[in-house]
Amino acid sequence: MSLPSSVAGFTVLPISYPGSSNTSTHYIYARAHTGSKKANTSKTTLPDSRTLFLVNVPPDATDRELVLLFKSSGTVERVVFDLDADGKEGVGGQDDEEEDDEGSELSDDADANTANAEEERDADMQQQPRKRRKLDKKPKPPQVTPLPTKPLRALRPTGRTAHLVFLDASSLERALAPQKKNRVWPSSSSTSTSTSESVEKELSGLARYTALYDSLRPPLDSVRAHADSAMEVFEYELAQTRREAGRYKKGEAIVDEDGFTLVTRGGVYGQTVGGGVGVASKVFQAEMAEGGKGKNKKGRRGREGKEKEGFYAFQKAERQRNDLLELKKNWEADKAKIEKLKASRKFKPY
Amino acid sequence: MALNLKRKRDGDVTPRKTRKLSEDDLDAVSDVEEDESEVDAGEDDEWGGIEMAQNMTAPVAESTGPGTKPKLPPSGEELRVIKDASSLFKSSTFKLQVDALLPTVRPKAARIPPLDRFLQTLHGVLTNLPSVAPQHPLEAARKLIKKGVSVPFCLPQPLEDTNWKVAFEKPSDITMVGSWPNKISVKAKDGCKFGIDLAVEMPSDLFQEKDYLNGRFFHKRAFYLATLAEAIQNSKSLNVELTYQSASNDPRLTKLVLEPRNDETHDDFTKLNARVCIVPVLPANSRIPLQRLSPSHSNIRISADGDFASIPTPLYNSALLMALIPRAHLLSAFTLNEHTPSFGDALTLLRVWANQRGYGEGSRLCVRGFDSLGSFWTVLLGLLVFGEESVNKAKRKPLGRGLSSYQLFRAALDFLSRHDFEKTAAFHKANQGHRFPPEEYEAHHEAVLVDSSSTLNVLAGVPIGSLQLLRTDARKTLEELNATSVANDLFSNVFLQDKRDLLTRFDTVIRVDISSAQPRSSSLHSTLDTGSPANALISSITALLREGLGNRVNALAILHSSPSTRPLSQALPTSPNVLYIGLIHDPQNALRLVDHGPAAEESDPSIAEHFREFWGDKAELRRFKDGRIIESVVWDIKSADERSRVPAMIVRHVLQRHFNLDATAVQSWQSGFDQVTKLPEAVSRVYMGSGVAVGFKGAMVAFDSLVKALKALNEQLPLSLAVVSPISEQLRYASVFSPVPLSESLAQSLPQNARYLPSMEMILQFEKSAKWPDELRAIQKIKLAFFERIAMALMSSVKGLKARVVVGDGVTTSKIQDVSRLDIVTPEGWAFSARIWHDREATLLDRLITGKGALPHINFPSQKKKGKANQEAVDAKEVYLRRFIHAPRHHRAITALNHRFSAYSPTVRLVKRWLASHWVLHGHISEEVVEILCASAFVGDGSDLHLEPDSGFIERSGVPGSKERGFASVVQFLKDWKWEEGLFVPLYGPESAAGDPLPASNNSRSGVWKISTEVDREGNVWTVHGPDAMVANRVRALAKATWDYLQNMEEGELDVKAIFIHPTDDYDFVVRLDPSALPRYAQNIDSSLAIGGRYMNPREDPDESLRPEFDPARSLYDDLQRIYTNTFKIFCDPFGGDRFGVVWDPSLRQPRPFRVLGGFSSTPVKKQKETEKDKGLVVLNEAGILCEIERLGAGLVRELTVQV
Repeated sequence: MSLPSSVAGFTVLPISYPGSSNTSTHYIYARAHTGSKKANTSKTTLPDSRTLFLVNVPPDATDRELVLLFKSSGTVERVVFDLDADGKEGVGGQDDEEEDDEGSELSDDADANTANAEEERDADMQQQPRKRRKLDKKPKPPQVTPLPTKPLRALRPTGRTAHLVFLDASSLERALAPQKKNRVWPSSSSTSTSTSESVEKELSGLARYTALYDSLRPPLDSVRAHADSAMEVFEYELAQTRREAGRYKKGEAIVDEDGFTLVTRGGVYGQTVGGGVGVASKVFQAEMAEGGKGKNKKGRRGREGKEKEGFYAFQKAERQRNDLLELKKNWEADKAKIEKLKASRKFKPY
Repeated sequence: MALNLKRKRDGDVTPRKTRKLSEDDLDAVSDVEEDESEVDAGEDDEWGGIEMAQNMTAPVAESTGPGTKPKLPPSGEELRVIKDASSLFKSSTFKLQVDALLPTVRPKAARIPPLDRFLQTLHGVLTNLPSVAPQHPLEAARKLIKKGVSVPFCLPQPLEDTNWKVAFEKPSDITMVGSWPNKISVKAKDGCKFGIDLAVEMPSDLFQEKDYLNGRFFHKRAFYLATLAEAIQNSKSLNVELTYQSASNDPRLTKLVLEPRNDETHDDFTKLNARVCIVPVLPANSRIPLQRLSPSHSNIRISADGDFASIPTPLYNSALLMALIPRAHLLSAFTLNEHTPSFGDALTLLRVWANQRGYGEGSRLCVRGFDSLGSFWTVLLGLLVFGEESVNKAKRKPLGRGLSSYQLFRAALDFLSRHDFEKTAAFHKANQGHRFPPEEYEAHHEAVLVDSSSTLNVLAGVPIGSLQLLRTDARKTLEELNATSVANDLFSNVFLQDKRDLLTRFDTVIRVDISSAQPRSSSLHSTLDTGSPANALISSITALLREGLGNRVNALAILHSSPSTRPLSQALPTSPNVLYIGLIHDPQNALRLVDHGPAAEESDPSIAEHFREFWGDKAELRRFKDGRIIESVVWDIKSADERSRVPAMIVRHVLQRHFNLDATAVQSWQSGFDQVTKLPEAVSRVYMGSGVAVGFKGAMVAFDSLVKALKALNEQLPLSLAVVSPISEQLRYASVFSPVPLSESLAQSLPQNARYLPSMEMILQFEKSAKWPDELRAIQKIKLAFFERIAMALMSSVKGLKARVVVGDGVTTSKIQDVSRLDIVTPEGWAFSARIWHDREATLLDRLITGKGALPHINFPSQKKKGKANQEAVDAKEVYLRRFIHAPRHHRAITALNHRFSAYSPTVRLVKRWLASHWVLHGHISEEVVEILCASAFVGDGSDLHLEPDSGFIERSGVPGSKERGFASVVQFLKDWKWEEGLFVPLYGPESAAGDPLPASNNSRSGVWKISTEVDREGNVWTVHGPDAMVANRVRALAKATWDYLQNMEEGELDVKAIFIHPTDDYDFVVRLDPSALPRYAQNIDSSLAIGGRYMNPREDPDESLRPEFDPARSLYDDLQRIYTNTFKIFCDPFGGDRFGVVWDPSLRQPRPFRVLGGFSSTPVKKQKETEKDKGLVVLNEAGILCEIERLGAGLVRELTVQV
C-alpha cells in the first residue's frame, strides 16, 4: 500500500464498491473548499469552513449516495455537483444574475446545471429565499406544476467535481482524516440500505432505462397541467416586464447598483431616457459597427476608379508584361507541383 | 527600348543553350545506337527527333531557374510552350502530367543495346538454318516430338492419308514488325514484357496455291515454327527460354516466344523486360490468292456432306490474312508517325488508358478479344487522322495532323463512345479503295474495323459485347474529362488507376465454370472457323446471352485471363475454364419482369418455334390485358429485392438450358448481398403470416393516412396545420431494414428480442400566428400544450391509435432547446414521432448568440459570449437548424434521388449496413451523411440532375445500376478519399445551386469529414459530431480491407457475409451485452444466432407494453459515449449489436500531474521508492472504469473482456 495518501494537496479517498465481481477501487480526491475571491456569490452559498470539495466523483453518483458515504463524518446539509466546471466557463453567467434580477429567468439558468428534476428542485431551494424576499411586496407569482418524476440517477461526465456542505465544521476534519480501510460506496439502488427504506430506490442499468423511458412519457393530463401552469408563469412574468418597461418609457433614468446611469435611446430630443445626455443616432451606430472609416475609403476609391486604364502606352505594355509574368509564374508553379509528385513516383501507372 | 533589347537578347540566348544541350543529347543517343543491327537502322533519326522535342522543353524551363532574374518575362519559345500547354491540352498541369507519364511506360533507351546484339546473333542463326526435305506432316511431327518440340497443328488436324508435304527452308527475309521498330511500344500491365515481333518470312516455294484450303497453310506454318523452335533451342549461341503462345487461344495464331535467361552476358536483355516473338509470315508474292480470303469465302471443306462449301469462314480467313499483313501494318504505322508528330504520344496515352481498363494483357482478367489486339489502336488512330474509306458516301472527315497528343486521345475516345460497331462498319482510308466489298464484312463479322490495306478486319473475333464495354468506358472517361467541377485527381483517374475490378464496372457479375458445359447444339463448322472448341463455345455463349438479355443490358462483356505461354511440348493452347460475365444494365429495361415473344397470330410458325426452343419450358402463351395473346417469358420474384436479380436469372436460365450448366457452375453474389439487409427468416415469416402491409410502401401509406387524420383535426386545434414533412429514413427508402409495423397482437408472436419498433420522425408546421409567445422557454412549453391537444384529439378521432407526449430525451437539460415530441402508434402498429417547428425560434436564438437583445444597439461586453447561456443557445441553434431546416430538405432530395436511380436506395441500405456492422454508423457517422456519400456515386457532377428521366437524354454511364456496384463504388471511394480535401455533392440539382445556401451552424466541430452540398457550403451539418480523425482513418482502413477482400471475386472465393463481420482484436476491451435484453437483437448480422431456440424463451418478467424506439443498448452506448468523451472511444453496431468495443485514449495511460478538472477517472501513481519526492502524478483508473461500466449497464452487460 504505497499509494500516496495525498495528491497535490488533495486527500485521496479510496472507495470500493460492494457486491460487484470487480474488486477495483475508485479514487475520490477531497479537500476543504476555499472560495475564490472573484466569485463572491458562491462564497455565500458555500461556506469555507464546512464545505468539502470532491474531485473525480463517480459519474453515476447521486447526492443521496454522497450523503450516505460521508454519514460517518457528519451530517451533510447539501450537495452541489459540478459547480466548478460551470463556474469557470460561466463567469459571465453570474453577471447575468445581477443584470436580470428584474424577473428574467436567466438567473435560474446559471445554477440549472442539474440533470434531473429532483435536482432542479434542489437548486430552486437555494434560490427561493432570495427571490421570495424580493417579490414579497408583489402579489404571489403562480407556480409551475411539475411533471411527475421518478428518482432517476443522473449520469454526469466522468471526472467531475462536487461540493459537500456539512452542517458542522468539525465534520470536515473527520471526512479528511485518513482511514485504514477503503470506504464502501453506499448504494441507494440496493434495498439493503436501512436508512432509505422509505424512499424509492434509485435505479441503475436496464431498469433505469426502462423507468426513464416511461417517465419521459407522463400521463397526458399532467402534461397539460404542467404546460398550462408554465404558461401562466410566463404570462405573469411578461406582465412584470411590461410594467418595468412602462416605467422605463416614461423617462425615468435607469440607475444601476453602483450608481451609474444607463445611457440608452428612447428619450426625447435624441437624449437618453430621463434626459441629460445625447445619444448617437442609429444610423451612425450602424456605420460605426461596419468598420469606422468605411465612408472615407469609398470616396477615395471612387476617384481612383475614374483614372483611365490603358490610356498611356506604358500602362498597356506593363499590363501585358504582368500578364505574361503571371502566366509564367503559374506555369512554374504547376511544374514544381508535378516535380514534387514525380518525386513520389506518382506517375507510374503500373 | 532597353527593355525590348534585353528581352530580345534573352530570347536568343535560350535557344542557343537549348540547341547545345539537345545536340549533346543527340550525340549520346546516336553513340548508343551506332552499333545497332541493320534491322531497324532505318528509323533511328525519327527516334532522336522525338527525344529532341522532349528535351527542348526541359532546358527552356531550366534556364529561367534561380540563376536568372526572376522578374524577366518569358521568352518567345517559353511562351509558345506555355500557350500550347493550356490551349492544346486540358490544362497546363495536365500537359505536365502527361509529359511525366510518357517516359515511364516506354522502354528505357539505355537498356536496348543488349537486345540489339541479341537480335544480330539471332539473325545469324536463322539465316544459316539447314533445309528440311519435304515429308508427310505427321511423320515430320513425330520426328520433332522426339526432340521435345510438338507441332501446333490446328483443326482440322492433318490425317495419315493427306497427300501434301511439309518442308523447311531458311527464311527468305527477317523483319522487325509491330510497335517496336516504330518506337511506339507501350508497357503492358502487371509487368508483362515488351514484345518485339520478328516477322520471319517463309520462302514462297514452300506453299502451293491451294494451301488456303482446310488449314493446310496453318499446318505448314506450324511445322515451320516448330522447326525454328527446335533449331533455336539447340543453338549454342542463343541462351533463351522458348515457349509457344497463341493469340486469343487460337492455335492458328501461334507464335514462338524467346525470353532471355538471366546470365549477364553481353546479349542478355533481361533488364529491358522484353521478349522476342517470332511470327512466320508469307512473302508479298506468295502463291495464295488474296481474293480467296475475303470474308464471304468458304475455305474449309472437309465434311461428308457438301454443305460446308457454301458456309463462309470469316475468322479462318482473317487468321490467314494475319500472315500477310504485318509488313503493311508496320509501314502504315510508320507513315502515320511521320505524318502526325503527336501520334506516338497519343497512342501511348490511349494504350495506357486501355490497359488500365483490361483491354490488354495482364495477370488479371482481360476483356475477351483484346488480349493481343495491339494493331487495333494504331488502326483506330489512323482512321481518325486519315479519315474513312467511304461507304455509301457517309464519310468521316479526317482530323488535321496538327492535333496534340491529348486532342488525338480525346478524339479516339470520342469515336469509341459514339461509334456503334454493332450497326456500322468502319474502314480505314485505303490507297486503292476497297479491296473486298464492304458489305461482306458487315455480313460476316460482328464488328468491323478494316485496316489500311483494306483486307483485314482487325476486330475479327472480338465479341460485340467487348466493344460495348469499350464504348461505356470511353464515355465514362469523356464525362470525367468534361465535368465542370474540377476533380483534382482527374489525371490519375484516367491514366493512373487500375480500373479492372469487376464490381465497380458491372452491375451484375457472374462467374461461370465452363469446363462441364455441354452445348445443346454444337456445330463443327463454327469450331473449325473459330479455331478451337473452347472459342466456339464462348462465342456461342455470347450470342445466346445477347439474345436472351436483349435490350436489358448496355454491355455484356466476357472476361477471362489472358492467354499464357506454354512449353514447346504442348501443341495446343489451354483455354480458360472460368469466364466472368459482366453486365451493365440499361436502367429502363433491365428489371423488366416479362419478355414478349411473337404473337400467337404470327403467320410464320418458325418464329414461335424458335422462341420456344430458346426459352424452353419458361416460354408460355399469355393473354394480356389489352387483348393481345403473345408468347412470353415471365420472371417471378418473391420480393422487391429479388427484382434486381432478373438479369442474372436470365443468364442462369440460358446457361442451364443451352449449355447444361447447373447452379454449381454458375456463381453470382447477389443473394449474399440481399441477405444482409433482411430480417431473419423466423421474423419475416411471422409478418408474412400476419398479412399486414409491410415495407417502404406500407410505411408511406401509413404516413399519408396519419397526415390526413392530422389535417382533419384543424377544427380542434388553435392553429391549423400547414405542412407535415417527413424526415425519417424509413420514409425515404433509406433504412437498412424495410420498415415493419408492430402491433400488440404481432408482438405476442415475436420473441422478446425482435420487438423493436422504430418510430418515424416528422415535422409539423402550423400556420403563422402572432399568438406565439416571444420567448424560447415559453415556446417549448407551448409545444407541450399543442402536443397534448393533438394527442387527445387524435385518440378520439382515430380508433386504436395511441399518442403520448414525450417531454424530453433524458439527457438534454437545456430549457430553450426543442426536446419535446409526440409519439404516435397507429392501430396497425406503425410508430411515428412528431415535432413542432416554429420559425421564430431561430431569431430568438440568434439574439442570444450575438448577444443583442431587443435593443440591438447596446453592445454587451464580449465576455458574455463565452458564457454558459450562450453555449446553450449555440447548441440549441445547431439542433434547430439540423432538425427543422436541413433535415426536411435533405429528405426531399433523397426521395427525389430514389425515384431517379433505382439502385440508389439499395446501395444506401447496403452501405449503412456495412458501416453499422463495422461499428461506426450512428455513433460516429450520421445516417444522413452516408446518404449523401452514396449519392455522390450517382449524381456525378450533377449536371443532369434537373433533367426528367424520360426526356430522352443519355444516362451518365458511370451510374451504378445495381446495389452491388453502388456498394463497391462507395467502398472504393472511401478507400481512396482524402477526407482532408472534402467532398462536394450536388445533391439538390442545379436549380438550387443558385439559391441561397442555408445558414450553417457555427459550432465548433469534432468531425473531420467535410461533405458539402449546395445548401450546406460548409459541409458540416451532418458531420459536426463525427467522425473524428481517428474514426475517419479507421473507415478508410476498413474500406481498404473490404476492397481487397472484394477482389477475391476474381478467384471465385467471395463470402459476402465475411465483409460484414467485424474483427474485434484491436479494441482494448469489449463489453458483451445480454442478447435477451436487446429488443433489436433480431437485426444482428449474425441473425441465425439471434433467433436460435436459446433466446426465444421469454424473460422472467415479461413486460408486455410496447415501447416504440426503446433501445437500452443504444441508450447505454450514448451515455457511455457522453460520460467518457475524453477517456475512450466506443464503438458498436446499432443494429442489434451485442458488443461494444472500446479504445482508451492512449495519452491517459501515461502518468500525468493531477488536475482538478482532469476529465477522467484516475488513480494516484504509486511511488517507486519511499524516498522519491511526491510529484502528484495520476494515471487512468482502468479497473475502476470497467467497474463503473458494469454498474451503469447493470442488467444489460454480461461481461467485460479486456484484450491485451
